[in-house]
Amino acid sequence: MSTDSPDKIIDRSAKLVFSFFISSAGLWLLVAALFAYLAAAKLTDPFFLSTYEFLTYGKIKVSQANAFVYGWGGNAIFAVSIWILARLSQAEVRGSIFLIFAGVIWNLAITFGLLGILDGHMSGHEMLEMPTEVWPAMLISYLIITFLILVIHRSRQIRETIAPQWFILAAILWFPALFLIAWNGMELNPARGTVQTVLSMWYGQSLIWLWLTPVALGAAYYLIPAILGRTIDKYYLAIFGFWCIAALAPWSVVHHLEGGPVPMWIPAIGTVMSIAMVFPIAVASTNFHATAFMDIGKVWDSLPLRFVIFGTLSYTVSSYIGVVFSLPTVAKITQFTIINEFHFNQRVYGFFSMIIFGAVYFALPRITNREIPKGAKSFHFWTSTFGVLLLLLAYLIGGLTHGVLAGQPSLPWSSSVIQSIQPYFLITKFAFVILAFSQLVFVVNVWRVIFPNPISFIESCKKEAGA
Amino acid sequence: MSEDSKNMNGLPDSEHFSDEEIVKSHVELSKNKHEPTKNFLIAPLVFVFVFGCLIFVCSIQLAHSTNSFQLHPPVEVVELTPEEKESQRLERKFSSGEKIFAARCASCHQANGLGIAGQFPPLAGSEWVSADPGVITNIILKGLKGEILVKGEKYGTSAAVNMAAVPISDREIANVSTYVRQAWGNSSDEVSEDFVKQVRADYSNKQDQWTGDELKSLYSTSF
Repeated sequence: MSTDSPDKIIDRSAKLVFSFFISSAGLWLLVAALFAYLAAAKLTDPFFLSTYEFLTYGKIKVSQANAFVYGWGGNAIFAVSIWILARLSQAEVRGSIFLIFAGVIWNLAITFGLLGILDGHMSGHEMLEMPTEVWPAMLISYLIITFLILVIHRSRQIRETIAPQWFILAAILWFPALFLIAWNGMELNPARGTVQTVLSMWYGQSLIWLWLTPVALGAAYYLIPAILGRTIDKYYLAIFGFWCIAALAPWSVVHHLEGGPVPMWIPAIGTVMSIAMVFPIAVASTNFHATAFMDIGKVWDSLPLRFVIFGTLSYTVSSYIGVVFSLPTVAKITQFTIINEFHFNQRVYGFFSMIIFGAVYFALPRITNREIPKGAKSFHFWTSTFGVLLLLLAYLIGGLTHGVLAGQPSLPWSSSVIQSIQPYFLITKFAFVILAFSQLVFVVNVWRVIFPNPISFIESCKKEAGA
Repeated sequence: MSEDSKNMNGLPDSEHFSDEEIVKSHVELSKNKHEPTKNFLIAPLVFVFVFGCLIFVCSIQLAHSTNSFQLHPPVEVVELTPEEKESQRLERKFSSGEKIFAARCASCHQANGLGIAGQFPPLAGSEWVSADPGVITNIILKGLKGEILVKGEKYGTSAAVNMAAVPISDREIANVSTYVRQAWGNSSDEVSEDFVKQVRADYSNKQDQWTGDELKSLYSTSF
């Protein structure tokens, strides 16, 4: 019987942990979607919910980013990395109870962190706005999970490792390193003056480049061969791409300080390293797309792979746009505009989340033995795609308009600059509604598979009774 | 539907890689470095060429914009054209004159240069101001007494300009008389410091104040 196959045993061992992490990730996704809508609505109508002090724009915006990155991103990373590493190592997931325990602490820490932000105890460091009191809980729970992930990897059957393992393990290990450096430099031994600003920005951007990005890349390196049944094209380049990201990404992120009050060489180095990031981006997109376009019909037929390829295309496009925007001549226009929102959403929605959706749709039926209706997945895909593209186009065009108008001091600020960006905010509000709807579909899909619908359960009981 | 449902039921799927196969085949690939092929491999060459270009661009960018890793941005030296320099000098002279006028002249002649009817003569539109620059310079240097006619009105029975008691430098005189000659709709040319110096030297022997008639006869061509 199929239950005897090693894959089934691994899937069964991962079932509890995967279900826990992905269902909590889904809840965070909805929380983030709600915050995103509120923030977008406040940009179009300043009086929207303005009587509630804890719902002011600054708090909502920050809560959204934190809920998205740590709540959705963190939980999804745990779920997907544990399952992919267990499958590739051909090793069972051990210590589920500790994983769940750590997961509960992680989620509680984020919950209290977000409540702290809404209550006005923001720390003021980019992507570390949660009050410092919850940082130790986050780090400890993360380290427990890291340890158990390393245990899975350690007990692998084949000694050699391949690309998905490098990327996922590296991301898992980079996060605590980033977190400790930032914590040390900003709270334990606060750096003086400019250094703190640089560090704060570096942490916030590196989190996306060294935590979210490698996990999504690793998942893509696993899912594309697994679904297409063919090896990665020009696989020998993958190792080069991996080390390029490791070496260049933490340097390249400082280009976001262009025009800021820091020594000139910092953004200059950032620009140069951003240009150099063309190497790993080219490698990853060659690997993914050369493989995928050999069998494009199959990519289209398989929904998980459609999500993944959307994500990798988005990665390629967004990263190249990022390189262009890092050039000083372009940055003169785009710096300090809503283009920043474009970068963030492109990365976390268009790239990371889409690949994670694909990975979840691939893994869940195998883990739970229940199929997600194709129509529901397809609906999720199209609403997500439409929502993301609408959002990104609005931010891109709006951001460029913003930059060009703001660069002309003769224009009156509120009556001409703000007025011209206003319609784009309206579009993003609409896009966030679509995205929230599509994420609701995703969460319903996931929850219905993990916790079978009570109604269908009753119906099946009725049928049995009728029979 | 077909793809996922097959796997869900655990049916053997010949098209699918098992995870073990994925690892093994990729490990094999990384050992062999590239897929066996008869043809010439173009991709590595393209990569080397593109990367070489990028390194070149990066180096130029780095050399141009790091400011030699110094803390402070370079001081920007703005080269002005002679016309810009001249207009900046005139602006400075005018605003300096405005300050001197406000401090030393405006109490009688008023800030709007209209003076007070019957008591202090106006400077705005006055023929004495727009006459030869020597007139105004001499009045400031030595003072003015007696009656004069300004814009058809008689002045000077009660008050007289007496600047001799208050020391004032050539540069200050040049600035303030330039201001007076160019403010409130007056449009006479500027008075230079050297000119004031010359006038001071020419009439150094004159002890008392000028009278209107003396000045009129001295500079008769300009009235």
